[in-house]
Amino acid sequence: MNTFGALDLHISIAAQEVFAIGPFPVTNAMLTGIAGLIITIAILFYVGGKVKKGRYNRFVGLIQWVFEGLLKSIDDVIPDRVLARKITPLAVTIFFFVLFSYWLSVLPGLETITVGGVPILRSLTADLNFTLGLAIITIVTVQMYAIKHLGILGNAKGYFRNPIRDPIGAFEGALELIGEISRGTALALRLFGNAFAGEVLLIVIAALTSYFATVALPFFMGFELFIGFIQAYVFFVLTLIFTALAVSHGDHSESSSDHSLAKPKKAKLAG
Amino acid sequence: MNTLTQFANTEAPSGDVFSALGINWMTLIFQIVAFLLLVWLLGKFVYPWLIKSVDERQEKIAAGTKAAAEAQAAAVAAEARIEKLLKKARVEAADIVATAKLESASALAASEEKAKKRADQIVADAKADIEKEVIGAKKALHNETLELVALATTNVTSKLVDGASNEALIADALKAVK
Repeated sequence: MNTFGALDLHISIAAQEVFAIGPFPVTNAMLTGIAGLIITIAILFYVGGKVKKGRYNRFVGLIQWVFEGLLKSIDDVIPDRVLARKITPLAVTIFFFVLFSYWLSVLPGLETITVGGVPILRSLTADLNFTLGLAIITIVTVQMYAIKHLGILGNAKGYFRNPIRDPIGAFEGALELIGEISRGTALALRLFGNAFAGEVLLIVIAALTSYFATVALPFFMGFELFIGFIQAYVFFVLTLIFTALAVSHGDHSESSSDHSLAKPKKAKLAG
Repeated sequence: MNTLTQFANTEAPSGDVFSALGINWMTLIFQIVAFLLLVWLLGKFVYPWLIKSVDERQEKIAAGTKAAAEAQAAAVAAEARIEKLLKKARVEAADIVATAKLESASALAASEEKAKKRADQIVADAKADIEKEVIGAKKALHNETLELVALATTNVTSKLVDGASNEALIADALKAVK
């Protein structure tokens, strides 16, 4: 009987290159990501087409129900309806694409199907390139809406204040700036960490349980599906909260010089 | 220990921290662009229809809720109106009953009075008729008595007196009777 230490487990933090197109490396995460992309497009276009024609079935109803729930969350977090509608495509796409991509990590053959010794399946969410890209898109979009909503100077006031006239405000602005960077980093690392840990968990459980993997793995796969949903929803909600915070920080920095009042509001939203 | 060794040896970081974490700038940019394209595609062709259908459904629900609230308010108002009408009707009915009782009592009293009057009239008329008949009967009896007296007197006197003194006697008798 094999011991765990003797197993040839292949765990890599970075997505592995399957082949290259010129200088462009095509990784296993990208291949799975393309599958996730096709699934997302196929499902949402199918549902959109059915809704457009007014032909409903249970699957369409399910997706529409989820969509309606997401829309309600957006309206709850972002009170400005126009802004809420503008952020909807990004936030909802993040939810669905992260969800489907994450769920692909529970596909059987995650570690066993290999091409040239490289596992061909790896969830896109377990690739830091994707999660970091998603975080960059989110932070940049949030800043764009903040600038649109508050103006360039109005938005900049949230981060840069005169340290002589308002030292506490300046300190708070610096913290806000650091906060923006840390939010983006945390956004990327949270999703990556969960997805990567999930994949490792499945691999380790499969290795540890050996022939009993068929019995043990489904429980962990179900758990991973649940975690996938949670992570997709967390990313979605954080996108909304960051947007709400970014467009509102100008309001309370102008309306109140009492920083002790502004902070709990932010903390409440972020919490 | 083997486990730890296994994980520690899985991927030795090579180069800088980004490449150790598998961050490749070309891949990163490619994935950002691909995701933005996906957002644009779905935002252009899918979400508008879904948002429209959700908005329509919410409008229908809002309209239904509003209609239900209005119907409930109308029902409450109608109930209040009905209650008011019933109260008014009860008061009116009580008034009508009281008036009817009063009117019937007065009508009864009036008819009783009338009946009494009529009865008194009938009794009075009857008394008058009886009196008249008594007087007539007395008169008739008187006349008859006179005739009988005259006849008897004639019969008695016809044998005692002549014709002339007879007539004188009769005349005196009549005068005495009168």
